[in-house]
Amino acid sequence: MPASSRRVVLTGLSTLSPLGMDPDTLYRRLMAGDSGVRAIKAFDTANMPAKIAGEIDNFEAKTYITDKGHRRALKMMSRPIQLAVSAAQCVMNSVDRTKIDPTRLGVEFGAGLMASELPELADAAMASANCQPGAVSLELWGQKGIPAIQPLWMLKYLPNLPAGHISIMHDAQGPNNSITESDAASLIALGEAFRIIGRDGADMFITGGCESKVHPVSLVRQCLFEQLSKRNDNPQDACRPYDRDRDGTVVGEGAAVLLIEELEHAKRRGAIPLAEMVGFGAAFERTHSGEGLARAIKAALKDADAIPADIDFVIGHAMGLTAYDAFEARGIAEVFGPQGVPVYAAKGALGNTGAASGAMELAIGVLALQNGAVPPSRNHVATAEDCPVNVVHNQAKKVAKPYFLKLAYTQLGQCAAAVIKKWE
Amino acid sequence: MRRRVVITGTGAITPLGHDVKDTVEGQLAGRSGVGLIRQFNATKFPTTFAAEVKDFDLTKYVPEHGPWDHAGPNTRFAFAAALQALEQAGLKGDGKCDRTRFGVYLGSGEGVQDFHALLWVLSQNYDPSTRAINIPGFTRGTLEMFHAEREAEQELHTTAAHLARYFELDGPNLSCLTACAASSQAIGEATELIRHGDADIMLAGGAHSMIHPFGVTGFNLLTALSQRNDAPEKASRPFDANRDGFVLGEGAGMLILEELEHARHRGANILAELTGYGTTADAFRVTDSHEDGRGAIACITGAIKDSGLSPDQIDYINAHGTSTKVNDRAETLAAKAVFRERAYKLPISSSKSMLGHLIAAGGAVELITCIESIHRGWIPPTINYETPDPECDLDYVPNQARQHRVNHALSNSFGFGGQNISLIVSRFE
Repeated sequence: MPASSRRVVLTGLSTLSPLGMDPDTLYRRLMAGDSGVRAIKAFDTANMPAKIAGEIDNFEAKTYITDKGHRRALKMMSRPIQLAVSAAQCVMNSVDRTKIDPTRLGVEFGAGLMASELPELADAAMASANCQPGAVSLELWGQKGIPAIQPLWMLKYLPNLPAGHISIMHDAQGPNNSITESDAASLIALGEAFRIIGRDGADMFITGGCESKVHPVSLVRQCLFEQLSKRNDNPQDACRPYDRDRDGTVVGEGAAVLLIEELEHAKRRGAIPLAEMVGFGAAFERTHSGEGLARAIKAALKDADAIPADIDFVIGHAMGLTAYDAFEARGIAEVFGPQGVPVYAAKGALGNTGAASGAMELAIGVLALQNGAVPPSRNHVATAEDCPVNVVHNQAKKVAKPYFLKLAYTQLGQCAAAVIKKWE
Repeated sequence: MRRRVVITGTGAITPLGHDVKDTVEGQLAGRSGVGLIRQFNATKFPTTFAAEVKDFDLTKYVPEHGPWDHAGPNTRFAFAAALQALEQAGLKGDGKCDRTRFGVYLGSGEGVQDFHALLWVLSQNYDPSTRAINIPGFTRGTLEMFHAEREAEQELHTTAAHLARYFELDGPNLSCLTACAASSQAIGEATELIRHGDADIMLAGGAHSMIHPFGVTGFNLLTALSQRNDAPEKASRPFDANRDGFVLGEGAGMLILEELEHARHRGANILAELTGYGTTADAFRVTDSHEDGRGAIACITGAIKDSGLSPDQIDYINAHGTSTKVNDRAETLAAKAVFRERAYKLPISSSKSMLGHLIAAGGAVELITCIESIHRGWIPPTINYETPDPECDLDYVPNQARQHRVNHALSNSFGFGGQNISLIVSRFE
């Protein structure tokens, strides 16, 4: 395929993470080897098999959202949506709106399921309980339960509303989509936005992802179907990507926003590119041999007109999972050769920020390119035999080549890769 | 020149039937798929009715249904509709194409939560006098009562992945959730993936059911649903002056989108061409469309521009037509703004008057209805149209199907949250 003549650059970043509420703090603390994982403070985890998370402290959306009308809308938003609109606000604060055509500004977000806050349902649940264990009365629910819930309840939790609210707050009348590929969601959202700008469907996108699984219902569900680390007594060392002693992942929360735009558009408004997005690829992995992941990587490299040797480092999906880390490492090795490229793993320090993780970890890569150093992967001590990758650990790695690659996958098989180039 | 995208297969599971034929013929006969809710006891809900898929049996489609036992209705409906589309296109696991160039893009919907377990455990751990919730008690209870596989199946990416795994579709695999616009957006972006060369074939569409206690509760609280409980079949009445909200439906619509030369090369039967895709946001309010139809106008205009057609060449509009006060008025305004005086002569009808609102699956089924209108030379009516609304004064094809040659049909989908999608399908000759 002929490459698009429209080049796409990244001109803004924001990250609300367990390691700080701005990109510079996040990068500095990752370089220092800090961990954002700890015993959960948001609720009492007695009786929970997993009691730790990458948790954000003292988040107040009002700190970020100062417009009165927008502040009123915050009560219609669950925590993940509040994180999303706050991260978007951080990026848009430095954009001069008079230079933006609202019909050419789009929003692409990655988002997942959001659990209802329990107090919102408690009175309705109580009103509907009868003597039958394990069930409530639907008749009572209809008569007394429904009227006990606030009218806008459902809107607080719709996965398309991070993008919806952001479009309203920033008058973004261009394409608006919400990608729901679990932990790969925000990377795929970025890829779609990249394609839309390339085909001249928009000039600029607010793209990113948001997630909070630090919630009793979300965490219960994760405990039932996700391999979570059992190292509750040692939270900071729990999530150990590609490590011999890995025993599961750790949930996290956060939001990341990447502002991308067509190069000439950026120049016209005087914005300085932080990096260039040059390639994207996606594929499905049916066998978990690593074949599908490798196809996504190869498609992204081809799209970028780059070869494996051009890539300075890969930011892995790196969950800390027994089976999937090995699968991912095989996929990387299929393209780059065994131990063929330095791989950075962010989730050891942050936990799994889920639908936000692709954008958040890509932001870390941009910071590494800008600062010339890839942080050490926290909690990686000894590379597992079944993970044929060269993990950046113990100390930071100098950046020598202009490209990095960010990977994401879902455990069901959706794979995506993006290639980012240093702006010079 | 841009790669052209054609449609080589369709499949549908809807309140009017378990395939495209019954779904379309039911609409042409003006049949309503709406009735009292049978899946759960909704007798005391503000709305007691919906358009349900009747007597659906997955084992008719798949002998080894074990792997699908814990899947929710979204995946089960999706599977049956996808199977129909793949069979019609001649692409069901026959090795005739490169599976790595064959992807999936679905409009996804939330899975069905374990309503009873969640609320019962919550009620047992709540003290209304202090409003305190015993969280350790709640988590212990839900850990015991939630079913692990069913919880995993609620995740939003499961349906697209299951289809890819079963039908061996190894290309890009995506899902989007933009409420009522989701499957239209999925079809539009899947078209773009093929145009760009990221894939040669895409299985695209959507599958969704919100006919469950939390779904009806959520929409009832927003007063978005019709509450015409004494006459369910009359409840969905788009553009009628006495409309009072939409009617929930459920089901799936699936299409096979294919690059034209790829389809020709393998001798596929081409059903239609996807010529236009428009996508915008209202950026106005979460709950309503913009009063002047701003986002819808830009979206329809964008789709027409993308198709290279002139507005005069559009022969039929399958409306979003939800039967809510605001949508139908804004959509009428948008049609007038785009088509000017010709808007009064352009037939517009709403499948939702008969199928209800299939939410994330709605756009796909409505686009299939447009394709069938091209083939059959008949367009479906808007049923229950009795009292004209002065603000909705176009030709809504009231109550009776109409014979009408259609070369180019436009399908609109406008999502809760402000996402607007328009698609154009054209006769392929």
